[in-house]
Amino acid sequence: QAEVEETLKRIQTHKGVIGTIVVNAEGIPIRTTLDNSTTVQYAGLLHQLTMKARSTVRDIDPQNDLTFLRIRSKKHEIMVAPDKEYMLIVIQNPSE
Amino acid sequence: MLTDPQDHLAHQFPLEGELRPTFSGLSDFLHRVEDMIVKELAKNAKSHAFDGFDVNWEDQNETVSCKHRLQHLVAQEKGLHVTSISWSCTGSVIACAFGRVDDGDWSAEKSCVCTWNLDRRGLNPKRPNTVIDVARPVMSLSFHPTSPSLIAGGLYSGEVVVWDTNRTQDPVLAQTGMSTDAHREPVYQVAWVPGQRRGEMLVLSAGSGGRVLLWTVDGGSLVLSAGYALVRQQVPHNSSLSKGRGSSNVGVTSLALSPWDSDTFLVGSEGGLVLKCSFSAQELAAAPPDGESVALRAPAQFSFSPRGGPVHSLHYSPFHRNLFVSVGTDGLARLHSLLQPDPLLSLRVSDSYLFGVRWSPTRPLVFAAATGQGLVQIFDLGRKSLRPAATMDQLTSGQPAYCMEFNPCQTDLLAVGNADGSVNIWHLSTELTEQGHRETAQLEQLANEVAE
Repeated sequence: QAEVEETLKRIQTHKGVIGTIVVNAEGIPIRTTLDNSTTVQYAGLLHQLTMKARSTVRDIDPQNDLTFLRIRSKKHEIMVAPDKEYMLIVIQNPSE
Repeated sequence: MLTDPQDHLAHQFPLEGELRPTFSGLSDFLHRVEDMIVKELAKNAKSHAFDGFDVNWEDQNETVSCKHRLQHLVAQEKGLHVTSISWSCTGSVIACAFGRVDDGDWSAEKSCVCTWNLDRRGLNPKRPNTVIDVARPVMSLSFHPTSPSLIAGGLYSGEVVVWDTNRTQDPVLAQTGMSTDAHREPVYQVAWVPGQRRGEMLVLSAGSGGRVLLWTVDGGSLVLSAGYALVRQQVPHNSSLSKGRGSSNVGVTSLALSPWDSDTFLVGSEGGLVLKCSFSAQELAAAPPDGESVALRAPAQFSFSPRGGPVHSLHYSPFHRNLFVSVGTDGLARLHSLLQPDPLLSLRVSDSYLFGVRWSPTRPLVFAAATGQGLVQIFDLGRKSLRPAATMDQLTSGQPAYCMEFNPCQTDLLAVGNADGSVNIWHLSTELTEQGHRETAQLEQLANEVAE
């Protein structure tokens, strides 16, 4: 358990990181450094988007699969590392 | 100030402490992705790949232009001024109140409230969609925050009225009448505030008699629910002000409700005072009872440094809970922090009086000020120069611009009400409405500066 917390802490303290969320396969957040309402919003929306991104990649080429998703917006960048059971979401303000 | 529980960082969701469930495979998963994520985070922090890269999702609007010039000829012929404007909650309808702002006894002057629906086809700027005749000049106006047909108004006589524009016969839904509870002097500000029960909205009215009153709509009447009286002796830190002769009432010329804290409000007075007040204040007002049905309380808790003349307009920043701006007859726009009496910044806007000030609803560093010369000056605090970012001439041949409101839905529209009886609807440029890269951070920096 301590390992989990340490890893998340390492990611969270990286330059410009605004928030770190871990989501399970159902899209439910299980770890977060943000407040509840923001976490629930990010988790729900990004879970849906990641599933859509994955099906897009596999529809184009069934032998391919999604490895990483990045969304660049005016204010920051959202990074999603997907996996079978979990998903890691990191929100970074790159210019800080 | 108490910290907002929402700001609590590093909240472990959903359980805290030792009862956290173990998720099998979580440690392995993080182990797998950590290196990749950290590598990308590091690359991103150093990357210049997106420098200066902008995407145009919306049509870029290069210029500031006047979209409509609304006039009600009958009111203009009588020489009435636009004293107050309000947008409906849907952003489609603009209402304006006619009255007089200059000196003189206008108590017998008939006036009206007009509305135009800007989204309706066949809009005629010279013909309002609705004209409500009112027996006395209307000094303040406010649309209900959720019911698009209800408008509250404060009159020169001290009466407060709620009109329902859906009614064809008699638009008056409720009024205070001339009861003992009512104001005796012009009501310069009306607003809707949430009541105790869910969905209930009360009408707040404030006027030059020094009273701030809360009314509930009950049948055809507005019934006094709570009241506050501002009395000079009860103004905090008042030692610097002379205890002059005349009424001890502090006449209210402007009022601002906080979007951050429903208990706090700001009051600007005829004498130049700017006061932070609380709805939950318990101390009774030292005003002699005048037959009111409710005990009036003294709401003032903090005095900001006073100005050299009436404070015509106050506005809380929609982007920072501690910032507000105030304007008055001294021609200055003062940026204040709620935490200290002296202003953070004093901007010379005009040599003439300033009648209105409004923060931009989309750009944290931008605000607009309406001048007595008929200009609206827009300032961008992010710029190095303190000269206005834009000047909008209301084309009133030098007559004052009295009031301004941003459209709550189409936030690039700004309505301005003028002394010549016209209401101009301006379409602001993208530069003035699109939030810049680090604006909220810059505003935060400004708020944390201590005044010299």
